[in-house]
Amino acid sequence: MSSSSGPANLSKEEILRYSRHLIMPEVALEGQQRLKAARVLCIGAGGLGSPVALYLAAAGVGTLGLVDFDVVDYTNLQRQIIHTTGDVGRLKVESAAEKIKAINPFVHVRRFDTMLTSANALEIFRDFDIIADGTDNFATRYLVNDACVLSGKPSVYASVFRFEGQASVFATDGGPCYRCLYPEPPPPGMVPSCAEGGVLGVLPGLLGIIQATEVIKLILGSGETLIGRLLLVDALAMHFREVKLRKNPECPVCGANPTLTELIDYDQFCGTRGEESAAATAVPEIEPEELKRRLDSGEDIFLLDVREPHEYQICNLSGHLIPLGDLPQRVHELDSSREIVAHCKSGARSAKAVEFLRGIGFRYVKNLAGGITAWADRIDQTVPKY
Amino acid sequence: MIRVVLPAHLRTLARVTGEVKLEVEGQVTQRSVLNALETCYPMLRGTIRDHVTQQRRPFVRFFACEEDLSHESPDAPLPDPVANGVEPLLVVGAIAGG
Repeated sequence: MSSSSGPANLSKEEILRYSRHLIMPEVALEGQQRLKAARVLCIGAGGLGSPVALYLAAAGVGTLGLVDFDVVDYTNLQRQIIHTTGDVGRLKVESAAEKIKAINPFVHVRRFDTMLTSANALEIFRDFDIIADGTDNFATRYLVNDACVLSGKPSVYASVFRFEGQASVFATDGGPCYRCLYPEPPPPGMVPSCAEGGVLGVLPGLLGIIQATEVIKLILGSGETLIGRLLLVDALAMHFREVKLRKNPECPVCGANPTLTELIDYDQFCGTRGEESAAATAVPEIEPEELKRRLDSGEDIFLLDVREPHEYQICNLSGHLIPLGDLPQRVHELDSSREIVAHCKSGARSAKAVEFLRGIGFRYVKNLAGGITAWADRIDQTVPKY
Repeated sequence: MIRVVLPAHLRTLARVTGEVKLEVEGQVTQRSVLNALETCYPMLRGTIRDHVTQQRRPFVRFFACEEDLSHESPDAPLPDPVANGVEPLLVVGAIAGG
């Protein structure tokens, strides 16, 4: 094969490295060159972003962009396999870039140590061909989708929760977008995040590898991608279901007559701005320091723990356990004449409990600000955090 | 017996694991299945359909036999495999974890 027919831009070392690709006619030299020329942006270097970035780097995608403003913490390590114990405290984009380079020094890594926003998304997307959406919140999901539609770039999508995942390819010519599937996000607090509900560590690995596969197929222009299909994965039952998706002709961003022609305020759209502070200020609170002082002085305070039993097993403050969902049926266990301090992991569920109890006449009930996590941070560091 | 697959967070809310199995009186439609579901699990009221309008909420979709039934009439008969209990009605909700 002459150098002018294509192999010129793959070095001898690269040909050896990608030999298992090169011998497959579906990839071959031309496909590998396409991979090398491709520029893929990974939004999030977390659970999904880890396998996406690692496999795309190994496969020879020439330019990988990483967008993440976060730093590695211990709770990430159960699933975010691009980061190691020694990376805790480091910027995720730095940690991930290092691993990518270790796997494949031929990859050009572009780091964006920033939060993706309406102000910077289109600018960041400009230098990339395909966007891999591995974010962890609804506001950024809609931002990524809209920016992909407006910039004409495919969004390779996956999301995970507990044992379940979803994957598709959105925002291609003629295909549906994320808004066609879900025109509006759930109200804040209705669908728990992985931090609240948990996620099986291997699940983002499974879904991230599906994302990486779809990215590679889009680059190669071969195979059948998930355009117009939604893959539903249930890891607990090990069910893989596929359902058809249709483009919504009235979609506000990708429909025939779009009304959304520029990026919007996605925190406002998703109702997430001020969510924490609203939850915290809606009910009376007590700070961990004040609770500690009053307990130490022997005051009669009834501690109500509204978490789930399996959370109670991890750590507890010896409170009376009534999971939030059981509270209406078990309210008779509480004495409305006593002062009650309710707590959960971070304060959101117990705020609902306080709101409920005050609504039915409990006058002396307060929410522990920041939950048992704040207690572990500020009062008793022997209490495990989760 | 009608089989319904719920999203994980609604299974938690309803305190069920796996598929939900329902007896549905009369014709098997989205409305009759959801009515039966909400009768058995009142805590699900308002999560799949709006409390007031009874319309499907925009972050939830219905699928069965690989087809998207979300925009079908709530009173349209569901596919025979769903009515026969061979295939489940999938209630799929938006998730955002990554």
